[in-house]
Amino acid sequence: MSAVPSTCPFCSCGCGFYLLTNNGQLVGVAPSETHPVSSGRLCARGWSAHEAALWGDRLRQPLLRQNGKPESVSWDEALDHIAGRLKALIDAGKPVGVLGSPRATNEENYLAGKLARAGLQTNNVDFSYHSICGPLFAGLEEVCGEHTPTTSLNDIASSQTILLIEGNLAETHPRAASSVMKAVEKGAHLVTIGYRITQMARLSSLHLQTTPGNEREAINGLLAAILDLRRQDRTSVAVRGEGYEALWRDVKSVKRTEELRQAAEWIARAERATFLLACTGGQGDQPQKDAAAFATLAAITGHLDRPGSGLLPLLARSNVRGACDMGVIPERLPGYDPLDDERARQRLQDLWGKKLPSDHGWGAENLLQSVSGLIVVADDPPSVVRMGRRAMAAMGRIEFLVVLDAFVTPTVRIAHAVLPIANFAETEGTLTNMEGRVQRLRTATNPPGEARIGWQVLAELCARFDVGNSYTSATDVLCEIAQAAPRYAGIEQRLSEGGWGGALLKDSDNAKFVVHPTGATGAAALAFAGRPHVLACDGAFDWGRDPLVLFSPTLSRDYQSERKFFPNGFVEMCERDVDALNLGGQRHVRLTSVHGDAVVPIRVRTDLKPGVLSVPYAFRDHVASVLGSDSVTAVNVEPP
Amino acid sequence: MAFAIERQAITKWLQKLLESGEVIAPVRGPCGDILFSTIHSPEKVEWNFQNPLHPPKQFVLPQTDPIVKIKRNGERHEVAPTYDDTRRFLFNVRSCDAKGIAFLTRMYEMEPADASYLRRANNLTIISLACNIPCPLGFCVCTDSGPFLRDSYDVQLTDLGESYLVEVGSEKGETALSGVPNLFHPATEDEVSQRKRLEIEAKNHFEQETCHFASAMRRISTGRVQDALWEKMSDSCLECGGCNMVCPTCYCFSVKDLGRVGAWVRCRMWDSCQYAAFTLEASGHNPRAHRKERMKRRFFHKVSAQYYQRDGMVGCVGCGRCIKVCLGATNMPAVVGAIRKGKWNE
Ligand code: SF4
Ligand code: SF4
Repeated sequence: MSAVPSTCPFCSCGCGFYLLTNNGQLVGVAPSETHPVSSGRLCARGWSAHEAALWGDRLRQPLLRQNGKPESVSWDEALDHIAGRLKALIDAGKPVGVLGSPRATNEENYLAGKLARAGLQTNNVDFSYHSICGPLFAGLEEVCGEHTPTTSLNDIASSQTILLIEGNLAETHPRAASSVMKAVEKGAHLVTIGYRITQMARLSSLHLQTTPGNEREAINGLLAAILDLRRQDRTSVAVRGEGYEALWRDVKSVKRTEELRQAAEWIARAERATFLLACTGGQGDQPQKDAAAFATLAAITGHLDRPGSGLLPLLARSNVRGACDMGVIPERLPGYDPLDDERARQRLQDLWGKKLPSDHGWGAENLLQSVSGLIVVADDPPSVVRMGRRAMAAMGRIEFLVVLDAFVTPTVRIAHAVLPIANFAETEGTLTNMEGRVQRLRTATNPPGEARIGWQVLAELCARFDVGNSYTSATDVLCEIAQAAPRYAGIEQRLSEGGWGGALLKDSDNAKFVVHPTGATGAAALAFAGRPHVLACDGAFDWGRDPLVLFSPTLSRDYQSERKFFPNGFVEMCERDVDALNLGGQRHVRLTSVHGDAVVPIRVRTDLKPGVLSVPYAFRDHVASVLGSDSVTAVNVEPP
Repeated sequence: MAFAIERQAITKWLQKLLESGEVIAPVRGPCGDILFSTIHSPEKVEWNFQNPLHPPKQFVLPQTDPIVKIKRNGERHEVAPTYDDTRRFLFNVRSCDAKGIAFLTRMYEMEPADASYLRRANNLTIISLACNIPCPLGFCVCTDSGPFLRDSYDVQLTDLGESYLVEVGSEKGETALSGVPNLFHPATEDEVSQRKRLEIEAKNHFEQETCHFASAMRRISTGRVQDALWEKMSDSCLECGGCNMVCPTCYCFSVKDLGRVGAWVRCRMWDSCQYAAFTLEASGHNPRAHRKERMKRRFFHKVSAQYYQRDGMVGCVGCGRCIKVCLGATNMPAVVGAIRKGKWNE
């Protein structure tokens, strides 16, 4: 039996564990008390991390679709064919693109980005950025000048006040929830904001129950109550920053309840406070504005940059942060520098020896619908992007679809070329967690059949597009990353120091905040007479369709059972709303919005308030005609 | 009969054990954690260590355990059990863990006996190291599973400074000492009394501890724990299953076939009664759909008089691992304490 230290591939908390192997086969997971993030604790996903690697439906050979059927071919044949087809598309003036993934390592994402921009000469490169963190980061950047966190998971536990925009933390980020629980146990005040009474809400000192898409009402209320405090007592309430007069104009008329006043006190008077922020729902740029308002709350109370205090954006999947840092977003280069940042462009042109394209690229959803050639690296777009299975139809129209993956996914099944790569337990590489901690994956076992290491395959593709480099190890790629994304400078050295060796990215020095007006309260006008209910899409990601969960016998049991019993999905609503409908034993409702209608099964929940309907992200396809491209919309509910 | 072995002679004994089978011992890994691992040389063994968080039960009940091979043969299927007949020595295992393995063995011996488990257990020789200084989070005195053992070991070592006292608890223990007769000498009276003194001193370390098991057992066994309390407590559980994974006495598993072209291996895997779908029925009905029901069940199994009568002990060996591993706050001492007081965290 041997134990290989590695990093959890699921959520972005970045817990560490040992992968246990017996005769070269994975057999289990052991927790580590010395790991800086997890210190001996793991969530259910972490405890079963070895299972998907073992039970997964794995790809073993390169495949090319010939006469409609996938045939195994040699690696050279596959790579040459792929390069040839893509070149032909480019020569014919047709658009091509690349999708990276938060399930892939930094090294894989970096090379995917390099392949797109330098090799294929396109900025059509993305991952599920927009649905998972785009608005969140944009909002933080507006206020903080940076999208990066200002506190750590461990610091949460010693906070006196915690403010949490609740997307169901106990489920999405159990390690973060654990720290919150520790703080609560020690007497911290937890204030939760959300439309559902979740587990964390039940543990809170105060739950501000909102209407979906209207979280900003609560945030603005808190802002107003805090500014009130400052007006009453200039000296003891730290309210700082330029531009809060404008802020005051925006929020002064918001109604302050006793609860809001109490929460404002807790926030303003805490020495150490943590602000935890998940992506909210809403229409247009509302989620971005929510994030900005939330960051403003942290900023004006001085908690943004005070030791022990800070803000932590909650990113759903393990390497969301890394994919962003590697520039796998159309408008961001490696280092998360804007596409039109001349210095960054020059840096990359020098490094890659190629002129970079300047035309703006498409984000994932547009890209899926518009390109003729697409390379997908370790992801299944229909499962991750908000447009859901419409992505499948879009991909079906792509002339040449290439997938690199360890597992058989729906996307793999329709691909024209499939390249089998190693999964997280079979490769070397790094992941960057939500705190900006860069941690290693280590090889615990060999990839099956002819599958190769992902970064090596991407390096070979790069070479075929004349942007090769002779990397001999994942560390070589990381060294190049350090040149492309300056924040990663020195990381490679710190990682080689032995032990767990995770390294936190350096904070940049331009983190100063700007207080913006928050704008009027969000979605108050969403519901109106003809459509008195609000339907919200719950969450930003569905673990149930991620191969790491889907292929794990233990995890899929929990995540899949609902899918089996509700093949047509469901929407959740409270008992009172169900009773009011007089369904006469029917278990379906018809939902109508400005976008369209759908008949869906219902499920009664006790954690929703009247007027609110919620559909799990996993079932968004079943109400796609009602939601349109929104994540929250006004609906009319009636018997089918 | 007790023996003793000089400190320096241990290496030679370990050498002998290494020749006769696989030796598993606590070893410090590159990241600083102590893990039970196969050793190839005696120096690797840790002597001063806190009990590893990952328990040695994996050597009788692996997290992933191939139990049956299934092969397609034309129209038929050939089914053959797989056994692990490796002879193993579990060296420097702590008292609570030795007790835990004995508990598991009693479960798997019950009819229908589990041959796969028993083959492994029968091939395992447990050489435990008594705890002169109990670990800070342990409460083995409350569960009668340490710091020194009266049973459940094949060999029990006690560190006497210059030498180790060697108590033999079984035939397997005798065999482990054989073949190197001049390494062991009959223990002197002084050595035996030193061991007794050390046990008393070790027990005294627990002075401050209050043991809540008895009163919690009364309440749990008679259903006198309020539903509201279970509900409240269960809000502090994050359903990670860690408590079950590291528990030396948890033995629940599920099975799943691992497919390999034309042949399958049926594996048993550790499972957790805290996972939502643990009791999910094919019909869709789940008798323990709510977290509080699962938590209630877990503690009923661990601490009720009904199970105490059957198993002869509570389903807890006081190792304290669940305190470290619990992602939430609902570890054994916390819950048992709350049940006694009738309230949680107030
Ligand atoms: S909290 Fe996240 S990183 Fe930690 S074990 Fe669970 S899924 Fe993995
Ligand atoms: S270890 Fe704690 S959080 Fe995890 S399942 Fe057990 S009681 Fe719940």
